[in-house]
Amino acid sequence: MQKAFFNKKLVIILITLIISFLLIAFSISVRNNKNTPSFIQSFGNESAGLVDRAVSFPAAGISSIGKAFTGLMNAYQENELLKTKIDNLASTKVENQTLKSENKQLKKQLKLDKSLTDYTKISAYVLTRTPSSWQNQIVISQGSNSGVTKNSAVLSDEGLIGRVTEVNKTNSKVELITTQNDSSNRFAVQVTSSSGSVINGLITGTSGSYLVMGQITSSDKIKKGTTVMTSGLGGTTPQGLYVGTVIKVSTSGDSSNEKVYIKPAADMNNINIVTVAKRTD
Amino acid sequence: MESVKMRYLFPLGLFIALFLDGSLSLQFSGSMFTQSVSIESRLILLWLVMAICYGNVRHIFVWAVIAGYFFDTYYTGILGLFIVMLPLIVYITRSIMRYFTSSFIVVLLIYLIDITILTVLFYWANALIGFTSVSITTFISKTLGPTLAYNLAIFVILFFPLEQFFKRFS
Repeated sequence: MQKAFFNKKLVIILITLIISFLLIAFSISVRNNKNTPSFIQSFGNESAGLVDRAVSFPAAGISSIGKAFTGLMNAYQENELLKTKIDNLASTKVENQTLKSENKQLKKQLKLDKSLTDYTKISAYVLTRTPSSWQNQIVISQGSNSGVTKNSAVLSDEGLIGRVTEVNKTNSKVELITTQNDSSNRFAVQVTSSSGSVINGLITGTSGSYLVMGQITSSDKIKKGTTVMTSGLGGTTPQGLYVGTVIKVSTSGDSSNEKVYIKPAADMNNINIVTVAKRTD
Repeated sequence: MESVKMRYLFPLGLFIALFLDGSLSLQFSGSMFTQSVSIESRLILLWLVMAICYGNVRHIFVWAVIAGYFFDTYYTGILGLFIVMLPLIVYITRSIMRYFTSSFIVVLLIYLIDITILTVLFYWANALIGFTSVSITTFISKTLGPTLAYNLAIFVILFFPLEQFFKRFS
């Protein structure tokens, strides 16, 4: 009797383990190959997303009270600083507008309807963050119903923050660029060297709070503080999204080992509203 | 016997705990996910352990599987981890509680054991599927230690309210 009971337990444990491994393999293959998750995944996602809106709302409220308080304390200092910046901003804005209209006219003359820099914007707010050390992932409140597609780039108001990895009807998952995940997709970025040539590369990983750009195409010198943006090469990311600024360049031997350390423009730990940039070409 | 109120309050609390984990991680991500620490909030485990120790809840296994399914699909997108680990934790806790009577210290120790098992298993599974490549020493100092400290603090704060809650409604 005792032995039969033990065997039954063992069988249950083995079956559970096998089912678990099968489910893991299944969801990884869906994540890598399919555009939308399967029914068993999307069902849970839709319903969880709905309930989460009710739970995360008060939590966000409480947190925003705390932030408002600290914000009030810093407001005076910030105000002084911002006053000096605002004049500069207005002139840049005007310049930006004229350049944009000029660009439009030039494109028209060239009969260039769509270029790599064109993208549609979809705004969403952040529902939640995965409570896990191994995935820097957030869930945003828009999905395929509003046109989000897999692998689109995601921006905060400061700069690039990540890439859409899973799209459901009413919510989608975004993997942040700071993620350590070995199998995540890489962003193609470009930076202008001090001699004016464009250097292409990939975001290959993170080092501390900095992003590391590797696989660099040229050995030209890069100045500290140069802005880094997406290059639009390799498919789904539009060109010209702001990634960050160069902090340091490490060269060990030849240019293939050259690494550029980038300070990301966006604060990955304070994201509430995001924009999904979907390329239009 | 499970009281009628408990039949509705337990799942409600379970899902609030599940979604609060994510919301807290988002709102306090500045202090929970930094260069040196990375804390995993596990309120859902606290709810399950307290229900086992002080509540009288039926079908707790089924609820653990359902909660695990929602955790996997909504948070990580990888099915098959929490859907198995949460029932496992329920089983372990139940087996240990057979030999003890519930008290603050006993539940605290069991809760810490559960957190350790869950965090280690979660790390192991993620290392297995290539989602992380950190070494065990980094894992212990960066994730396991801070996670235990954080969840211990939450336990101390929430123990008495939850104990009163479960004693009253079951």
